[in-house]
Amino acid sequence: MAGVSTKDIKNRIRSMESTKQITKAMEMVAASKLRQAQNRVTASRPYFEILYQTISDITRTTRDLSSPYLKKPQSDKLLLIVIAGDRGLAGGYNGNVLKLSVQQMEGRDTTVLPIGKKAVEYFRSHKVPCHTEAYSEAADLSISDCFTIAKNISKAFLAGEYGEIKLVYTNFVSVLSQVPAVMGMLPLNVPKETESRSTKMDTVYEPSAEEVFAAIIPECLGGILYGALCESRCAEQAARRTAMDSATQNAEEMIADLTLKFNRARQASITQEITEIVAGAEA
Amino acid sequence: MATSFSLKIVTCDGLIFDGQAEKLIVRTSTGDMAVLARHINCVCSLGMGRAILETNGERKTAACIGGMLQVLNGDVTLVPTTFEWAEDIDVARADAAYENAQKVLNASDNKDNLVIMKAKAKLNRALVRKSVAGEILR
Repeated sequence: MAGVSTKDIKNRIRSMESTKQITKAMEMVAASKLRQAQNRVTASRPYFEILYQTISDITRTTRDLSSPYLKKPQSDKLLLIVIAGDRGLAGGYNGNVLKLSVQQMEGRDTTVLPIGKKAVEYFRSHKVPCHTEAYSEAADLSISDCFTIAKNISKAFLAGEYGEIKLVYTNFVSVLSQVPAVMGMLPLNVPKETESRSTKMDTVYEPSAEEVFAAIIPECLGGILYGALCESRCAEQAARRTAMDSATQNAEEMIADLTLKFNRARQASITQEITEIVAGAEA
Repeated sequence: MATSFSLKIVTCDGLIFDGQAEKLIVRTSTGDMAVLARHINCVCSLGMGRAILETNGERKTAACIGGMLQVLNGDVTLVPTTFEWAEDIDVARADAAYENAQKVLNASDNKDNLVIMKAKAKLNRALVRKSVAGEILR
């Protein structure tokens, strides 16, 4: 009957409207968080870049290749640090990062170090061994936590627990584009051009190359980890904002569609009523 | 005027200094080191201590903790973990951190090594900050 259907449509419109309000609010929250995160990314980016540059400069110019950080790994085990979000409803953000990590893990003996609730849950349900689950809140992670993680993983690397350490995070390219990325952390990449090294200028290590490496590398890794974390957090907010923006738009479209249907149904019921009355009067 | 060299100071809070400097003194893990123009290429790890920067004859001090210093082809890059100009140091916070660390160290002796190490590191950081900040007050 037409009356029931208009009521149904009305109910659906109402529920759509409340959904729209929620997504709209989430979008606004994400937008303001995004602004903060973006400021932090722009502040930390030079640090991130210079650290990376410096590490590669050091590995390029060093003659001391005996450092355990540079050596070819004995063990085949891979430690994957995965930075994902704490919450869902962020479009493809969590899915993309996790998909990339699964690709990296394929056919290898892997342990993960998940950062963020979504990553912890995912690896737990897939029964992947975890290095530690202590860092389940990506939003609460401070810079000193990053340094602690870096110290821990370099210790584990030196102890031979892992042969390779990689980091999976999301690069914040722009508000509209976030790309998941993999970065090798340890061992440090030694460039191929061994011949040209002798032509490079000598570098003095104070007090010794070994000690400098031992002191600097965990610090650098910590810095890199923090940078990646900032990028990921920013990417998460951007992804959520975009997802919620399109959800709001979809809700609006559906409401417009339903309103049209509602008006048609109402018109139809009025027409029917008139026809009935006229038919009754003529009889 | 002394010859200058290009210097960059970056921390995770952003680019702190980017420009020409005449002299930079930092506390490395083995002691104070001064960098002038045309320094040999070098890499060293930083300890905790006062850093002094001279630009255009002006002298600025800062608390510089952890990280590293790199000189490559005349360009100097200082990448500390924390770096605060003397006038920006939060003395009240450093004082509080100092008191807290003292309390932890004095409290009892049955604690594990990690707690004591952390407290000692905090104490040292607080002392560096206090002494660097104290210098400009004097």
